[in-house]
Amino acid sequence: MSRAVKPQRKALNTVLAWGMGLLIFFPILWTVLTSFKTEAEAIADPPIWFNFSWTLENYFTVQERSNYFRHFWNSVVISVGSTLIGLIIAVPAAWAMAFVPGKRTKDVLMWMLSTKMLPPVGVLVPLYLIFRDLGLLDTRIGLVFVLTMINLPIIIWMLYTYFREIPVDILEAARMDGAGLRDEVVHVLLPMAVPGMASTVLLNIILAWNEAFWTLNLTAAKAAPLTAFIASYSSPEGLFYAKLSAASTMAIAPILIMGWFSQKQLVRGLTFGAVK
Amino acid sequence: MSTKASRAAARLMISPSVILLLGWMLIPLGMTLYFSVLRYNLLMPGDNPFVGFENYSYFLTDPGFTAAIWNTLALVLGVLVITIVGGILLALLLDQPMWGQGIVRILVIAPFFVMPTVSALVWKNMFLNPVNGLFAHLFKALGLTPYDFLAQAPLASIIGIVAWQWLPFATLILLTALQSLDSEQLEAAEMDGASPLSRFRFIMLPHLARAITVVILIQTIFLLSVFAEILVTTNGGPGYASTNLTYLIYVQSLLQYDVGMGSAGGVVAIILANIVAIFLMRMIGKNLET
Repeated sequence: MSRAVKPQRKALNTVLAWGMGLLIFFPILWTVLTSFKTEAEAIADPPIWFNFSWTLENYFTVQERSNYFRHFWNSVVISVGSTLIGLIIAVPAAWAMAFVPGKRTKDVLMWMLSTKMLPPVGVLVPLYLIFRDLGLLDTRIGLVFVLTMINLPIIIWMLYTYFREIPVDILEAARMDGAGLRDEVVHVLLPMAVPGMASTVLLNIILAWNEAFWTLNLTAAKAAPLTAFIASYSSPEGLFYAKLSAASTMAIAPILIMGWFSQKQLVRGLTFGAVK
Repeated sequence: MSTKASRAAARLMISPSVILLLGWMLIPLGMTLYFSVLRYNLLMPGDNPFVGFENYSYFLTDPGFTAAIWNTLALVLGVLVITIVGGILLALLLDQPMWGQGIVRILVIAPFFVMPTVSALVWKNMFLNPVNGLFAHLFKALGLTPYDFLAQAPLASIIGIVAWQWLPFATLILLTALQSLDSEQLEAAEMDGASPLSRFRFIMLPHLARAITVVILIQTIFLLSVFAEILVTTNGGPGYASTNLTYLIYVQSLLQYDVGMGSAGGVVAIILANIVAIFLMRMIGKNLET
């Protein structure tokens, strides 16, 4: 900051910003707090803030009653699986478009992006029927396939914008020093491409983890990831706020942590490089 | 360095992606178009006769359709207005010097990472519930009658929930754009005696224009397809009060098993989304050149 700022002004900013931040974050904080309460404390009026009997019981109950970790594992398999398969398909394509751009590269990229604009509900019926006929309904492999296809354009775009920033001159320099094609790729290009690939993977796991249209429509009990599992809590069954909070906290915690690490990439990835 | 051999290799490297995406797009799209002109209900086995545009005329004249279009519009516009106005104000605030800026950023961005079903359920039960919700407690504490948000104002409640999820996205993008603004320009304007308001109006807002456009267009694509939040909170009701186009088509195809009608609705949704998409593609295309 080059401008000198009065301490009073800075203090005011701090109070305002922290107030807004806590207000926006409050529903998450409240969910986490509630997950450690008993059901009676969870709905107490007036609400109990911190002065309750902290318990882990809800977490155990959620696991016992509904085999929580199976759904957690489904989420892991589906989000990581679809991201890695997408990466394997996307890396060669993004690589070729970034380093050997042709006249129509831009058209191909724009067309790929346009597939993302297809509203999912427009192809819900045929996909549902295809899945039914192939026995893919409520299977993890089916969801991995769908999420791979949904996120493939984003993966290709992100990789493309990262690869394009790798200076090509450095290849020529390596070649002058007598590096072969293999050395070029392994020792020069790959180390420069890895950070971009890592951010791409991170963002896509987040997107796949939270995807809630296909996961809700194509799964039932067996292959349901956390998005669909949590939705089953919408049927009212008496006192359940604390258990709902425990299930929710476990469902969002891993991705919240990953998300905080990928803030910068998030902007870039979700705007297809338009804002950096 | 693009020789003939490297061009051929490049084409080979791109083709798996292109073939997969082409199949992913064309096969279901073709099927949707085909089903949309058949009388085809999974509950009535037998022939699926060709009926021309019958499904379309039923779908477009259904009272649910008009309601769904208005609700879709209200949902998209409502969330856009809240997130953009709120996002600009928050971004301006977060761009100021303060203590603990990094932590505040983390707090503000958090809702974006909460899966839609979780945020919908948490809001529905722990905040908006007319008996045990936190808002009900608050209303009672203030001596007011608790308000049943999801029954009395279902669409507005859903707009609020979805806006909470997307406000972080808008804020983060606008903040990123704001931080790339040349501070010397602002200082020069300040020294020339420009008021804070005119500094915002004539320097910051034009600088943010591109980021705002990006936020509008990307959010629109996602907001047209809001689904989980409606499914979990209101099931589209009461009546059609909170049914959007996506939810209406879901009801017709997967709850009423009407493949023909659901497909016709799907085609309508695709056409509407395309109108939005054309604008988005143009803009991103322009940004590619810079």
